[in-house]
Amino acid sequence: MIHPKAYYFNTFQVDQAILDRLVEEGLRSGGSYCDLFFENTAYGNLLLRDGAVSSGGSHVDYGIGVRVLSGEKTGYAYSESTAWADMCECARAAAQIADKPVEVSPFGSRNPSRGEPNPSADRYPEKEPWLGVPMSSFLPFLQKLEADIKRRDSRIVKVIVNLAFQVSDILMYNSSRELKWDTRPMGSVAVTAIFQQGDKIENKSTSRSFRCGAEMLSEDLIADMAADVVKGIDARFEARRPKGGQMPVVMGAGASGILLHEAMGHAFEADFNRKGTSIFADKMGRQICPKGINILDDGTLPGNRGSLNFDDEGIPGQKTYMVEDGVLTSYLHDRISAAHYGVKPTGNGRRESFRYAPIPRMRATYMESGTAKADDLIGSVQKGIYVDEFSNGQVQIGEGDFTFYVKAGWLIEDGRLTMPVKDINIIGNGPAALADMQGVADDLIVDPGAWTCGKEQSVPVSCGIPTVLIGKLTVGGE
Amino acid sequence: MNALLTKEEIALARHCLAFAQAEGAQKVRITLSKTLLNLIGVLNGEVDKTSHALDRSLQLQLFVDGRFGTFSSNKLDREGLEAFIRDAIGTVRMLEADSFRNLPAPERLAKDAVDGRELDLYDESVESLTAEQRRELALGSCFWGHGEKRLIAEEGEYSDSVFDSLTLDSQGLFARHTETSFEIGYESTVEDAEGNHFSSYWWDASPRLKELSLNGCAETACQRAVAQIGPESVPSGKYTLVVDSECAAKLLTPVLNALGGYSLQQKNSFLAESLGKKLFPENLTIMDQPRTKGDTGCRLFDSEGVATREMPVIEKGVVKTYFLNTYISNKMGLKPTIEDATRIKVQPTGGCITREDVLRKAGSGILVTGFNGDNSNPATGNFSYGIEGFHFKDGKIVHPVREMLITGSFLDLWNKLLAVADDARPCLSKLIPTLAFKDVDFSS
Repeated sequence: MIHPKAYYFNTFQVDQAILDRLVEEGLRSGGSYCDLFFENTAYGNLLLRDGAVSSGGSHVDYGIGVRVLSGEKTGYAYSESTAWADMCECARAAAQIADKPVEVSPFGSRNPSRGEPNPSADRYPEKEPWLGVPMSSFLPFLQKLEADIKRRDSRIVKVIVNLAFQVSDILMYNSSRELKWDTRPMGSVAVTAIFQQGDKIENKSTSRSFRCGAEMLSEDLIADMAADVVKGIDARFEARRPKGGQMPVVMGAGASGILLHEAMGHAFEADFNRKGTSIFADKMGRQICPKGINILDDGTLPGNRGSLNFDDEGIPGQKTYMVEDGVLTSYLHDRISAAHYGVKPTGNGRRESFRYAPIPRMRATYMESGTAKADDLIGSVQKGIYVDEFSNGQVQIGEGDFTFYVKAGWLIEDGRLTMPVKDINIIGNGPAALADMQGVADDLIVDPGAWTCGKEQSVPVSCGIPTVLIGKLTVGGE
Repeated sequence: MNALLTKEEIALARHCLAFAQAEGAQKVRITLSKTLLNLIGVLNGEVDKTSHALDRSLQLQLFVDGRFGTFSSNKLDREGLEAFIRDAIGTVRMLEADSFRNLPAPERLAKDAVDGRELDLYDESVESLTAEQRRELALGSCFWGHGEKRLIAEEGEYSDSVFDSLTLDSQGLFARHTETSFEIGYESTVEDAEGNHFSSYWWDASPRLKELSLNGCAETACQRAVAQIGPESVPSGKYTLVVDSECAAKLLTPVLNALGGYSLQQKNSFLAESLGKKLFPENLTIMDQPRTKGDTGCRLFDSEGVATREMPVIEKGVVKTYFLNTYISNKMGLKPTIEDATRIKVQPTGGCITREDVLRKAGSGILVTGFNGDNSNPATGNFSYGIEGFHFKDGKIVHPVREMLITGSFLDLWNKLLAVADDARPCLSKLIPTLAFKDVDFSS
């Protein structure tokens, strides 16, 4: 819910005059731009373990970050107090990045966006608030979820359910006199179940995370998560590691979007390109994958974990096509990189909290559906693997080499799924994998899991993809 | 010493402890901490960013009517904290009872961490550092502009920090830890003649500024990146694996995690029921040495205030320790130990001192200098990691390798241990030297 401006001024004990004076302090040493980021985040969590919700807590994080830019150089300081003296000290510390006046401000002053946030356009309203209600009201959800999971499989020996929620009140102001405010809710449920079959132990996990209120804790979510956490456990017990080596890989719709995040998304973040380190630094406007493929980063999906009304620099949330019809058309920009490239910011300036300066980050990154059928893509593979469950991934920006961990999948032989596989790593090179996409199905799924990106700072993101066939990746095995 | 925590803040923590008890908490633990950080970022030979930060936090662990909750706030005004504590106690009362929750037995608590300085981890020179000196420290380590034409980007950071924390509890615990940390780190990207990029890093850290290896940091990062130019593929198969000490923790950390109480109690550990059993080879001994004065990462007490002590974790292949805090030990019906490993040291074996000694002993195989991906299954102990490194023959590096994976299970891997060198870098929190293993599956 987006509150009236007065709510945020009251939360942070400031007014317009204080904001103006603080920005003046930040620019006193000659900085070309200054912005303020106020945050008050309330967190809550409940943990069900060994059959009881016997652990929980709440946490408060409050403060202001002041950023001063001198050209492309950044001075940053923060304070956990919004008393004038503390904020002022903070602004003066950030101001030290500049030691002489810079005449031209390239950071958004040409067309400042001074409009007020529109509550009716809120992408993540809370229908049922997280805060202000007893946490005991959430206990039945955890208990029902555990019971539903246990009911579905007698091999389950342990269930852990973790509910975490947070609500962040944000106020942003800058030297272009742009004032924005936002309230960002987030609810996440994570489940791990441990299964025992004879002397074999296996674990399965699943999570759901949305920017919304406590209305997400529904009967539907219980049924969805319970079904998901037991799905495929028989195959998991039977699964083996395949023989390793290079082979075609069919990536199932949904969580396989981690491929886009690791292999391409990071390399499209403009700070890596501005610094010349990205493998895509000189590829703008060039064909980087087959025609017909569109890859985008989207901050506008209602309730999505990566969505934003405004990014953490006050730029409106938006949808950014990075690849259109196979051609690289845009990087993901914050204000600094946008000024460097002479383009508009794309709303990707994000930060973990007031403790961090914003940098270009992804939101919800996905590929649009193609025209092929998933079964046909699998059917076209003589020998390869199909993968659809992942735990994490990583990329080396300079080389473009990426890796991600496959929790579960299937061996493909003569166009059929024949043997379950598990616990294998897949490694490849981003530009090579993009160029080697041989088919895109018509079944895009944006994964609802609690994905978190850890580039210098942790921010919530999501990812998605239709079923795709990549001609050749290296699969770990025995 | 100009400590971060003030007398007023310590008095506030004591007040919160008494207030929580007065409001109905039978037992309370409070940790008050502050961190002061100064950072200079450098890009291609110029200062690119500066950062100044003071963090503070008050964490409360409340035991109320057989129930338990954890709470924290960084708003440290007395009135606000009292309201926060009242709400927190109300929240704990809504949770289900848990009879296993308790404070540690008083005789297990640290009594020798009084002023926080006992481990000699505080360097007073941090108090007199100026902004200009910090810039000089950061820029003085640069390699940009020194004639390496293949270097296309160089990014680095110098930082210094002061950490000061105090843990109190309702049975009289007073445990303080104060330390400084100075760090330098550089990442370099180089380009070969075909336009391929290769990147690498180097870093150092120390509790004392004079022991920080500033010179050569960026140059080493650049040399490590250049060394990767011209990778060649190696066929899939079984090779001897040598893991550089810089990244060897990747292979040991999952073993330590599997000995952690929460993993064991939740049956999410491949080392369940391993205590006292010889599951590892005779030549593997791992010690925890948390009380070595002046050493990075050492602590006199854990997060419960329990005194640390030197102890074997694995001795001649036998599992000697689980990491059990009060809660988990009560749940498992075992004697509590310590919450987590503190300053792990893998004892040398196989007659090797340096990485070169290990390469000579191994003969031929793959030297791993970095991992790509953090991928393992805690329940089964299976892993699969992307690697970067070098093919070596007759003890000498032949060429870099790329896009390779190693796959296996940790118990099987450690039972193929060939050698442990004695070259762990003191800046690492875990002293794990260069390691060598026989017959490891590589895919390429």
